[in-house]
Amino acid sequence: MSQLRRPHWPAALLVVGLLLILAPLQERIHSARPRLFDPEQRVRRASAITIGPTAGVIAALGGFRTVAADLLWLRVERAWHGGNWWAIIPLLDAVVELDPHFLLAWKVYGWHCAYNLHVEAQTLVDKRYWLQRGLQVLERGVEANPGRWDLYFELGWTYYDRAHDAYRAAEWFRRADEFPDAPAYVTRLVYRPFERILDFDRLFPAIEYARAKHLDDHHHQRIVNRDLEWWTTRQDDPQEHRRQIVIENTRRHQRAIPFHMYPDNPYWDVCPRCGMPSAKDAQTCANCGYERPPEGWPDVPLIR
Amino acid sequence: MTPLASRVIVLVGVALVAAIVVITRRAWLPAVGHTFPSVWRIACITVAEARRRRVIQAVIILVVLLLSSMTFFTYLSPMEQARMIISSGLAAITVFGILLAIFVAAFLIPAEIENRTIYAILSKPVKRFEFVLGKYLGAMIVLGAIVAVMTVVLVGVLALQDRLVQDLPDSRFDPNLGPVILAAVLSYFALAVLTALIVLISTVGSTTMTVISAFIIWAIGSLQSTIHDLAENAAGVSRLVLLVLYNVVPKLENFDIRHEVSNFMSISVVAAWEAILHGLGYIVVVLILAAIFFNDRQV
Repeated sequence: MSQLRRPHWPAALLVVGLLLILAPLQERIHSARPRLFDPEQRVRRASAITIGPTAGVIAALGGFRTVAADLLWLRVERAWHGGNWWAIIPLLDAVVELDPHFLLAWKVYGWHCAYNLHVEAQTLVDKRYWLQRGLQVLERGVEANPGRWDLYFELGWTYYDRAHDAYRAAEWFRRADEFPDAPAYVTRLVYRPFERILDFDRLFPAIEYARAKHLDDHHHQRIVNRDLEWWTTRQDDPQEHRRQIVIENTRRHQRAIPFHMYPDNPYWDVCPRCGMPSAKDAQTCANCGYERPPEGWPDVPLIR
Repeated sequence: MTPLASRVIVLVGVALVAAIVVITRRAWLPAVGHTFPSVWRIACITVAEARRRRVIQAVIILVVLLLSSMTFFTYLSPMEQARMIISSGLAAITVFGILLAIFVAAFLIPAEIENRTIYAILSKPVKRFEFVLGKYLGAMIVLGAIVAVMTVVLVGVLALQDRLVQDLPDSRFDPNLGPVILAAVLSYFALAVLTALIVLISTVGSTTMTVISAFIIWAIGSLQSTIHDLAENAAGVSRLVLLVLYNVVPKLENFDIRHEVSNFMSISVVAAWEAILHGLGYIVVVLILAAIFFNDRQV
């Protein structure tokens, strides 16, 4: 081991001066980097079952978390194609824990819970649990990626299409639409939920909001103007109201509406086989070809 | 640290460096003309020595084969394929780059001392700090060539896949070439910082000690933000130890944008420049210390 033979004060002062310049620069770099490892758990853990790796394991992986997440993602693919749907959950938990910015993993995780496992579940309690879990997963994804529109949109879509919560769906679509890179269809989805629940007080301002955006996009403007014209002329049309109610109820039950829920309407009926609207005077359902029975279709009140 | 305090500290540092450079100008100005040719000659010899090593050539061939094999993820969607190739490719560049940096740099000075070839060099009109700088420059040229080869292969694979893979409506193959090249450049600067530190350790220690220390420094340097977070929540001696580790060990994590590139996130060019600037400052500090230690070492 060497020993310093003489004082090197100029070199030592030079080193001190350089270190003084570097220290504040390092602070800037540190605060500018996105946080991957979250020791204080500032991102809320909404998942009921978290079988992902521990914080220590994640930290030990250092700069190779992305690669570890990719390797687990390959196992997710294999489990998916093997039909092993329940085994995917702990794997997806681990993937999003390792790489919280892996948007596709959050999307697949939320969709898998809210759609596939929701359908697979046998009881209503289980179904409710998996839908809720899917929504919570997407909310965690949004917390981890607040600067990207994709997961706001996914969350809005799950509320819109799966939970049938129009107000929350519209709110998440609006948040997604605030990002400059969000596509035009997200803007149109801001008013779609209000169409379904026939909330005209909110529908028209939302359509106006969509109309004021993407002014150079002719396709978007054409669709929004078409919808505005449609609802301006049909907002007081009971037939249109019933059609929307039938569509919404059919979607909620994911199949034909049960008999006790059919609307009573002089012009419009619902096919008992497919649940889609059909004209009262039609002999067969335009959607599925079901033939009208000779004594007429059942006539029961609609549940809103 | 408040912004005002940061500015004051930077100003004091700049003033100190400027004062030392001006005060000692009579000592270093006449040597400048002689230093560059000597450093360059030693660097060229180091590159020639590295070219003769079969291990380096074997590793480069292995990496090229590994990167080329990444075209086999065809069962994934285009977006997943792009992510998979980018993250594994950049990880391969980093891992093999660091292994080669340790292998190249750890043997630079100790091998010369153990083989006694250093006597022949130092008996010539070559100053000891020129020898250290020349060795470091030679190692950086070798590592630069290796990283460049690996980057070209990765970019080639991505460009090829971009042509071959058919995009789907909701899944596009994005080769993300600009950020991938930036990530490779930053990986090279990480190697530069690590190599400088290995050279510093090798001026006072044996080859074995240098290799072990290099691996430890790599591990700690890659976990700097974790150490920073842990230090903020720790108290007493453990806080002190963590703060020393955080401030002394190089921040290799500063150069790691692989995660952002793989996830197609936006990358701040300013932050990349700041990281490079910080790395260069760190390299200067470490090489000054290496020159001092080697100057005082009895060989």
